[in-house]
Parts: sequence; structure tokens; C-alpha cells
Amino acid sequence: MNDSSPRFLDESPDAIADRLMQKAHNQDGLPEIAIGLTFLVVAGLQWLQVAYQPGSPEYKLAWWGYMLLIPAVILGSQWAIKMVRRKYLIERVGYVEYKPVNRKRFWAVIGIAFVVACAMAFAIAARRLPPRSWLLAITGIGGGVLAIQSGRLPRFVVGGVLMAATGLFLVLIRVSLEVGFMILFGAMGLLSLVSGCVVFLLFMRKPVEAGE
Amino acid sequence: MNKVNAKIQRLAEIDRVIHEPARLMIVALLAAVEEADFQYLHQTTGLTKGNLSAHLSKLEEAGYVAIAKSFRGKYPLTICRLTERGKEVLDNYRRVMKAAL
Repeated sequence: MNDSSPRFLDESPDAIADRLMQKAHNQDGLPEIAIGLTFLVVAGLQWLQVAYQPGSPEYKLAWWGYMLLIPAVILGSQWAIKMVRRKYLIERVGYVEYKPVNRKRFWAVIGIAFVVACAMAFAIAARRLPPRSWLLAITGIGGGVLAIQSGRLPRFVVGGVLMAATGLFLVLIRVSLEVGFMILFGAMGLLSLVSGCVVFLLFMRKPVEAGE
Repeated sequence: MNKVNAKIQRLAEIDRVIHEPARLMIVALLAAVEEADFQYLHQTTGLTKGNLSAHLSKLEEAGYVAIAKSFRGKYPLTICRLTERGKEVLDNYRRVMKAAL
């Protein structure tokens, strides 16, 4: 047996499957490239809001970008990864058909997002927002934890720690929220893109074993 | 003491075909997806192709995995899918292990 053998009696079959599938999902670096590009789009839109005055066409364009472009990039990237793997990498990564999205989990996520949006709207209306720097720290730490939790590989742990540290560092040097977000997403997007490209190149250099 | 004995007795109910670590990996993976091909299982489990092939044959013989061979262009596809019997056996395995440990 090799290192991917189950930690017998320590893990349930579901946990074994979850761990192995997560590892397989990140083996070619494509998800990191997609996350990197998404973060760079966010940083670019944030730059528009830093560089141009509120009310200018560029500033408005950034808002439209947040509303339309980001959901499209997030949803489109999943489709693009699947398409690239099926069309060009099938001999390396193999074919898999995932189960349809769990409806209970899907509605739970939608419900949580709705509650969070309502809470934010209420906070804005009641002018009870936390200090703006908190948002930067929370985004950095939250993003870092999410990266570690979803990646579960050493490079994701490093990326997650760096994101949290960058968020806290930006709070400490007291940059404005807009500039802070621009630096945070720009730096993390670049890191993720470079890391994904390196993993992808290393993955493509591995010889394909012929036959079954 | 009786509790311990009962737990040990429950362990005797475990299906030995899927209790083997490599086969448990394969069955657990197939339970989490609709279907997967040989290459995906090879990449994901890290088993050698010969080893994987032998374990898949055993699971197919036991009726836990259905295997269909086809082509996608020039690429040979050996699609594996967990059967209803395989799902039942895995559910039972989960229950027994949970109760016994």
C-alpha cells in the first residue's frame, strides 16, 4: 500500500472518499488557476474604485463587474475546469461523473447567504457597522481558513496562512479598506495563479502510463 | 465485559471483501460519485494499475461494482459504478464499524 491508503479504523468511508477526491481535484492545479484569476478580477475591479471618483463611469463599471462578472467567473470557472479536463486531460486525470448537488446542502448555503445579506443590510441601515478595518481582517482570516479547509494540502495551508497574515498586516499599516482589498486580492490572486501554473506544469511533465 | 464481547461479535459481521483497505478506498470513492473510470480510480487511490485491476475484479465478482468497457475517441474508458448491492454492503459496513468502535 502507499501513502494514500486509508488510515484504517480512524476514518469513515465517507471521510476517506472526501480526502481522496479533494486531493485528486487539486492535483492538476486548475482550481488554483481559476481562483487566482477570480481574485485578480476582484482586485482589478477594486482598483477601478480606488483610481476613479465615485459616480464616474469606471466606478459604476466596477459595481456592474461585481454584480455580473464575479458570479459569471465563479460559475464559469467550474464549467471550464470540467471541460478542459474532459477535452484535453482525460488520459491523465481520468473520467468522473459527480453526483448531482445535494439539494439540502444547496438550500442550506443559500439560506446562510440570505441571512448574512439581511444582517449586513440591517447593519448598514442601522449604521451599526463594525470598524472598516475589521472587514479586512475578517476577509483575510476567513479566506485563509477557507483555503486551508478546502485544499487540505501543504501549499493550501501556506496560502491560507499568508492570506490571513496579509489581512492582519494591512490592518496594522492602516491602509484604506478599498486599497486593502485591492492589495489582499491582488497578492493572493497572483500567488494562487503562480502556484497553480507551477503545479499544472509539473503535472503535465509526468509521463502518461499507457494501458490498464 | 459483555459489552466488549458484543462489540467483538459485531466485528465478525464485517464484509471481508470491502474490509480490505484498497477495496474500501475504491468502494468509498465509487459511493461518493455517480461513476468513474479506471484512470480516475488509479490517480485518486494511488494504487498500481495491476493492483487496482485485481481489486476491481474481486469487487465485480462479489457483485459490488459494475464495470462497462467503451471508448471515448481513441481513449479506452472502463467505467466503474457501485451497484445497489455494493451500496447496501457499504452502508452495513458503516453501521457495523460505528457500533463496534
